[in-house]
Amino acid sequence: MMGAQPFETIVAAHHAEIFRYLRRVTSRTSEAEDLSQETFLRAYRAYRTLTPEANVRAWLFAIATNLSRNHFRGEKRRRLAYASAAVEQRETDLEGPESVALFGEARTLLETTIRGLPLKQRAAFTLRKMHDLDYETIGQSLDCSAESARAHVFQALRKIRRSLDGHEFAHMEPSR
Amino acid sequence: MKHKPQSCREIEADLIATATGDAEPVVRGRVEDHIGFCAACRGDFQRYREIDGVVGVLRREPAMEGAVRARERLESRLADLRSRLMMYRVFPSPLGNILIARSEHGVSLVEYLGERTGFKFSRLAQVAGVEAQEDGLEVEALYRELLEYLQGKRTRLEWPLDLRLARSDFQRAVMKATVAIPYGAVASYAGIATDVGNRSAVRAVAQALRWNPLPIVVPCHRIIGSSGLLTGYAGDKLSLKTRLLGLEGVPTLSAHRDPRVARDTMYVRDRNEVEYCLPTCGGLPSRTLADLTLFASRERAESAGLAPCTACRPDLHPLSA
Repeated sequence: MMGAQPFETIVAAHHAEIFRYLRRVTSRTSEAEDLSQETFLRAYRAYRTLTPEANVRAWLFAIATNLSRNHFRGEKRRRLAYASAAVEQRETDLEGPESVALFGEARTLLETTIRGLPLKQRAAFTLRKMHDLDYETIGQSLDCSAESARAHVFQALRKIRRSLDGHEFAHMEPSR
Repeated sequence: MKHKPQSCREIEADLIATATGDAEPVVRGRVEDHIGFCAACRGDFQRYREIDGVVGVLRREPAMEGAVRARERLESRLADLRSRLMMYRVFPSPLGNILIARSEHGVSLVEYLGERTGFKFSRLAQVAGVEAQEDGLEVEALYRELLEYLQGKRTRLEWPLDLRLARSDFQRAVMKATVAIPYGAVASYAGIATDVGNRSAVRAVAQALRWNPLPIVVPCHRIIGSSGLLTGYAGDKLSLKTRLLGLEGVPTLSAHRDPRVARDTMYVRDRNEVEYCLPTCGGLPSRTLADLTLFASRERAESAGLAPCTACRPDLHPLSA
């Protein structure tokens, strides 16, 4: 007995998105590569036991999030990741005229804050704001209720808001 | 810590939701009313709008550098995992515990574990390059068919086979020749050696079958010595061989310590003929088991596609059972 679709179609449909998610949560390409690989290898091993009505996307996000959690476990390791991620960031941000630089500053602040969030908040925020998952699905991915998922996202926004206190940045029109 | 008025605290979550495009219309209306008269919250609202703007920019960035390479690496690791992964489970059976394992190619291992149940006792635990995963779903159907077979309710196990656990191409060739021996029939090690094109490799054939990774499915219990002795089975499990042959109606004599097939009570087919004969048929060119297959009954011979010999007429003079 196998899942409803061949596993190739699962990879084709979700690899790019899971990679992007991990890229955002870990801030590093090399870790996104390793963790996305591990996500799909685990998924393959367990795929045959998945019920046909399961939400594959939420399930993959859940595996990816759990792997990230294990990956980040241990403060020391996590701090090291920050340090090198910050270096990567600075290299890519040296560009553009003043308004871009101003925006770039806000963006760097925001990214730094997101990176410093507890994993559940970071994951919930990323899933909601970057991947447009609804709270029900985020709850499934993070193994919590839709309510808690929503609370994580709001908590993340509050922290971002606080981290930007005292910083002026170019007024961007919201995308929505 | 600054204390906000109660009404501002109550509306904070809705304010964030509204500013970040995450609120129902009715909530939006309430928030707009509030920030209409509360300057502090209006400032907050604006701030969250700005954050949402930056988030929107981040969101539109593909963050895809490295994705193509990651996908390629994944594909190659997946292919590798697929070929290594074997799903197994240990089941109880009338012949003791049996481990059944399969890969994506087919059934790769049927193993007698006797009283033992642990995976660590299996050959699978020793094979390099195999990733074994306990998974009943994959092998449950095989187990049911095997049980039916052992209860005599089924005479064939038409399973796709994965012969990669065989130790050599020679062993694979021996296994393929052995699969061709039908239910209720026996052939000899010498006969299989002839089938694989090396008449003198009798001992090598016996060794190959001793380590047969797929007993029952690849029916090595149907292969006996040229003298008619059962010889051996899966190392030290000769009694299982007698049992499996008995299940198929093959008569064995165990008056002596070494059990043998009662060949005088079995129909006979020469390897070059498409007919079956009485064991006494004068037309048989050879009487050595290297050239013969023995059948437990006319029914078994005929279901293997053989016609009765027109000289000895086993159809008119059947052997009394």
